[in-house]
Amino acid sequence: MSKFLRPPGARPEKEFLARCLQCGQCAQVCIFDCIRMRTGFDPFVSGTPEISPRNAPCELCMRCSAICPSDALEDVPREESKMGYAKLDRDKCYTWKGFIICRSCYERCPLKSTAMVLEKGIYPAITDGCVGCGVCEHVCPEKAIITVPTRFVT
Amino acid sequence: MKKPSIKTWRRALQIGVAVAFILIPLLNHFRINYFTGNFLAFYAAGLPLVDPLAVLQITLKNYYLSVDLLVGAGIALGLAAALGTVFCSWVCPFGLLSEWGQSLSGRLLPRADKGMSVKGRGFRIKIILFGLGLAGFLLFSTTPVLNQLSLPAWYSRIFQFYFEQRHISLAILFLLAILLVEFAARQRLWCRYICPQSFLLIAAKLINPSRLKIGFQQDKCLSNKAMSPCQKACSLSLDPKTLGESVDTECTNCGDCVVACKRMGRALGFQFGLRYRNSD
Repeated sequence: MSKFLRPPGARPEKEFLARCLQCGQCAQVCIFDCIRMRTGFDPFVSGTPEISPRNAPCELCMRCSAICPSDALEDVPREESKMGYAKLDRDKCYTWKGFIICRSCYERCPLKSTAMVLEKGIYPAITDGCVGCGVCEHVCPEKAIITVPTRFVT
Repeated sequence: MKKPSIKTWRRALQIGVAVAFILIPLLNHFRINYFTGNFLAFYAAGLPLVDPLAVLQITLKNYYLSVDLLVGAGIALGLAAALGTVFCSWVCPFGLLSEWGQSLSGRLLPRADKGMSVKGRGFRIKIILFGLGLAGFLLFSTTPVLNQLSLPAWYSRIFQFYFEQRHISLAILFLLAILLVEFAARQRLWCRYICPQSFLLIAAKLINPSRLKIGFQQDKCLSNKAMSPCQKACSLSLDPKTLGESVDTECTNCGDCVVACKRMGRALGFQFGLRYRNSD
């Protein structure tokens, strides 16, 4: 199963697909070029937007959910855009392993200090406030973080 | 200088739209976002234009209608009700390609009896196919799957794919295959029999009997050939001289017959409302 995210503000997957017009405007207004339209000929998903955080993560600018004409992407505050959640593998993380103090993920997190905190001021940890934008996954030098899309959680 | 004919204006608009939908993804790539979208949903500096069939599918599945969708589809349907299916002949880029294919096949392929009249049959087949498609959508699909049959949307999507993500879509081959079949069959098969997007536009135009139509005056007609110039000019091989709803249903108000008739007797012309009747 492919592991791409839907753009921020996306409704639950089934509802999202029922509403998405496949017009690609979310991808066109994305200033970080992270949203890509699904290619290929699968008639049920072709042309729907997806984000692959390893390539380009979402920075939660919320332009896409503002323009979506059919509200498949709801215009919600960035803190409530449940795209997924990030999982940190403490066995891989440089800081948790004790090699160096690396704060790449913490520094780049768009919801710094709500979605990601520093335990004891040093160790990065992901809280329930994480919306799964994938920035931390993108910047982690050790690929210790993966982002799980919400639709695979239920 | 010669005054440009209706056909010149029409070609200019068609080519302009076709080029615009190449440029729009390119401009979006450089962060110029006054115009966004494709032929399914489009924002022209804030003004929404939405494919009515896409709105219908979304409304049927979600019992939901946003203001933008309502306005966007309303503009499209209102235009069709006032001016007929001018989208097909004046805007649609696939219509342009299809017309070029037709004129090319008319020139290259040997001229058989093109005089086969297709009165109203096209729309009847389209009703059946549209019904089947809509039933299939309601029964089996949760997504607006009929959107995938929109060839203008695929046309614009090819360039969205290319300029946004450097992906060369194989939909090009799909479009070329359809054009090739139309070329060989010497008929605009997709537009006439299949295109589900135009069905709602036709339905909207049939509501308004005083919409823009091609009017015909028998007493001014100078042609006595079996295949009159106006019929030859029609890319849908309709006969503009036959009065009645069957031809009106399929006619897209492109005006090619009017241009062709100007040399003969000016028996054809655009007009609102009912067709002229010869004094009988």
